Formats: sequence, C-alpha cells, structure tokens
Amino acid sequence: MSKSFRDVLVLIGPALVVVSLLMLLPVLGTFWISFWRDLPFAPRRFAGLSHYLRLLGDSGFRQSFQFTILFALVSVALEMVLGTIVALVVHEKIPGRGLIRGIILIPWVVPGVIGARIWQLIYRYDIGLINSILNPLFGFSVNFLGSPSGAFFSLVLADVWRTTPFVAIIVLAGLQLPSRELYEQAAMDGAGLLRRFTTVTLPGLRPILIAALLFRTMDALRVFDTIYVITNGGPGGATHSLSLFAFKYYLTGDFGSGAAVSMLLFLIAFGAALIFIKLGRFSEQVL
Amino acid sequence: MRENQAKAVLLGLGTVFVLAFTLLPVGWMLAVSFGKEVGFAGEAEFHFTIRNYVEVLRRPSLHFVDFLRNSLLVAGSAAVAATLIGSLGAYGISRVSFRGRLVVLFVILALSMFPQISIVGYLFKLMTALEWTNTYRALILPYTAMGIPIALWVLLGYFSQIPRQLDEAAQMDGAGRAATLFRVILPVSLPGLLSAGLLVFILLFNEFLFALMLTTDAQARTVPVGIALFEGLHGEIPWGHIMAASAVSSFPAILLALCAQRYITTGLTAGTVK
Repeated sequence: MSKSFRDVLVLIGPALVVVSLLMLLPVLGTFWISFWRDLPFAPRRFAGLSHYLRLLGDSGFRQSFQFTILFALVSVALEMVLGTIVALVVHEKIPGRGLIRGIILIPWVVPGVIGARIWQLIYRYDIGLINSILNPLFGFSVNFLGSPSGAFFSLVLADVWRTTPFVAIIVLAGLQLPSRELYEQAAMDGAGLLRRFTTVTLPGLRPILIAALLFRTMDALRVFDTIYVITNGGPGGATHSLSLFAFKYYLTGDFGSGAAVSMLLFLIAFGAALIFIKLGRFSEQVL
Repeated sequence: MRENQAKAVLLGLGTVFVLAFTLLPVGWMLAVSFGKEVGFAGEAEFHFTIRNYVEVLRRPSLHFVDFLRNSLLVAGSAAVAATLIGSLGAYGISRVSFRGRLVVLFVILALSMFPQISIVGYLFKLMTALEWTNTYRALILPYTAMGIPIALWVLLGYFSQIPRQLDEAAQMDGAGRAATLFRVILPVSLPGLLSAGLLVFILLFNEFLFALMLTTDAQARTVPVGIALFEGLHGEIPWGHIMAASAVSSFPAILLALCAQRYITTGLTAGTVK
C-alpha cells in the first residue's frame, strides 16, 4: 500500500464511513422500503411501483406537491430580495454596525421550532399579538391561519423572518469582495446610486447569489418544523409540505407510502440542485 | 450632495425596519414569558412575574431540564465528533492529491443537502430494530453524520489559507500526515475549528425531525421536540411555559450571535466566498 493512499484512507476514511453509513445507506434503505407494502399488523409484500403510481393520481399528494413548490418559490424569492437589501444596509458604515450584524443573526440561530412557536402566538385568533392590536383599534380580529391563502402567507412570513439573515450574511461576504476602484470609477463616470448597483454590484454578486439561492431552495423544499408547529398542514391539508405529508404516512405506520413521498421529494430537490449547479458553474471554482 | 442625503435617509429607514422586524418577535416572546398566563393579550395591563421561569426550571413533570440536558449533550458531543472527523477529511482533501478528490468532496457536500425525511424513514426502522430509540446514541450518530459535511466545508476554506510551507517543514522533520495535522496545522487553526464547531452545534441544537422520530419518552426529548409538544394538563397550550422555556433555550444562541458573530459569519461564508 503506497504511503499517500494510506494517508487518504486515514484522513478521509472516517468522514466517508460515518456519512455513508448514516446518510447514504438510510437514503438507499428508504428507497428500498418505497417498493414494499409495509403496514402495521400486515405481512410485508413487494409492491413494485404501486405506491408511486397511486401517489401520482392522489389529490392530497398533488396538493402537497403544489404547496411545496409554491412555498419554496415565494419564500426564497422574498428572502433573496430582503437578504440582499439587509446586506447592503449593514455593509455601509452605520453606527453600531458590529452589534447590528449580531442582532440580525438572531432569528437564524434561534431554534426553528421556537421561532415557529413565537409566530404561532403572533397569528393566534384569540390571544395573538396582531389581533390584540387590531381588535381594540378597529373592533375586529383576523383569522390568519383559517384560510388556505392566509395560512400560506403566514408560513412564508415566518420562514422569511428566520432565514433572511442567512442570505444577508452570505451576500454581505460577497459585497466585501469587489474592489472599491470599480465603484469609484463608476461614480466618476457620473453613474447614479441605482445604476451603480445594477451595473457594478449585482453582476459581481452573481456567483454568490446563486450559491445562496441553491442553499435556500434546498432548505425550503424540505421545510418541516415551521409548518409542523404553526399549521400542522391545515386548514384542510392546504399547507402540507412534502416532508410533512411523508411524515404523516410514517406516523400512521404506512412506511411504503411515506418512503415513496420522501423519494419523490428527493428527486425534486436533486433536479433543482443540478439546475443551480449548472447556472453557477461551481465545478470551475471549487478548490 | 442630494444623493448622499437620500442615501442616508434610506439607510436610516432600512436599519430601523430591519431591527424592528428582527426584534419584535423576540420581544413578544419575552413579554409573554414574563407576563401572567391567562388571557394575557386580551388584557390591556401587563403584570410582571417570573413564575413561568421558576415553574419551567423547577417542576420535574414538565421535563424542561431533561430537554436542555439532552440537547446540550447530544448536540455538543456530535459537534465535537463532527469537527474532529471533518478536520481530518478537510486536511486530506486540501493537502493530499489523489484521483477522485473532487468527487469525494462533491458527494459529501451533496449528502448534506438531502431532504432529512428521505433519511429518517429507514433510520427509524433501523433504530427501532436495534432498540436504540430514546437513547443518546440514536441521535448522536446521525447528528455526527449531519455535522461532518458542514465542518469539512468550513475547514477546507480555512486550511486552504494556511501556507503549505508549514506542512513541508514539519514533514522534513519526519512527521507523518497525522502528526503534521495534530501538532502543526490544528493548533494554528483554532479560530477555524471554533467557527466550524459553533456552526455545527447551532444547527444540531436546532434539529427537529430526527429527534421527533427517534424519541418517544418525554424524558428523552430534545429542546425543539419538547417545545413543539409542550401541553398543559388539560390539553390547552401553556403559552407562558412555552415562551419561558423558549427564552431560556435561545439565550445561549442569542449570546453567541451577539458575541461570536464573527466566528459564525466566517463559518457560514467559508466555502461560498473565495
């Protein structure tokens, strides 16, 4: 055994073994389960593609699929725009900048479940924060989580609150890169604030924006805890993300169907990742 | 000049809006946690009390202290293990050239983006068959695997900035790869290790789905699962307890964000900016 091969084995081996055993193997296992009828108190039986075929015609699955895609699109779009704005603000020399940069991180470091509990209590019909301000002033309360669209936007807002800091920090790191000369050159050419942003700042940020977009989209597609806490899929199944939809199959003991939903979500995420990796041309940059 | 004034106004408004949007929910959490429980928001007046905190920390039947201990233990040990294993891997990838290096890196990173639900289905079956549900190892093992790609990515960025002459000098003195890493590289990489460890710890402390599936006893729950499933005696939601427990559990994270902002930020942006 050559010396450098042994080095590779010793150094990279542990990471590969742990990750393969506890992430790769379980995904393959879930894939395997998805081909079996696996119910409590019933004999296991090979089911072939029947779970997948049934799901594609299932209205609950289609609703969940649409919700997940729409949720990812709307919340990620908002987070990218807001995150970029926040980054531009804290990039400037404002008083107390260090402290402010710490404060904007708070929603992201606080456990997601806790953030979700807080927003749940902001939206509540009876004792929620918004209604306890609205009601005395205008004499009516809004049932934010009672309608499908209300619940959708309530969830988006909670997600935006939690993950905008992530985008902001990544974009901020990108802003600190381009050389100031470019700015000054453009300023001397008489370009205005907005023009400078669109011609100098934005193109320079492209690779970093695509990286943030990739991370955020992957994360939004698998959204679980925020929804589990705030609506648990309601009202009437309107806010079941695919993760939550699969989880509820697991909860009832139908592991074959749950595994099939999980694998379909996996495929969707994989496809989205490939698109972004092509867009970002990361392979040329790594190392 | 007009442009500078407009910019200053925009900046001021932007800062105020960002701070308000960020802090308002946190303030609401604190207000409820320090307020009287029943009909809190409906009443105009606010009665200050620390009763919620005392009850949450003192009453064994609420299990909140169990949640905290479990979370700190599970996330802490997994973060240490992931940072160690990740540092070995990152060092291997950054210093030893071998075929398939980029493939290994890509595969490890891609794994960290898998939807957790596609992992947990089989993991639940496995842990149930092993009778490991409700044990620490049932969470520490998958958490370590979740943390490794992140630690590896952060440290890869860090190691690539350390001059190779340092390695070469150590190897001239006869040190092997492992000795070089432990005696030379890691000691000068403490900030990088701290970044990686903190970031992994925060993410694992917040993890929900695995902990939800792999614990069934109230005593075995982690903080996120405990707070999501908090229930009053009669099935009502005990908001005062939930918000007090939330405030206690987010205190370390908020402190970290304010004091160690630089480490978290460099960790978060290590790989993306080069």
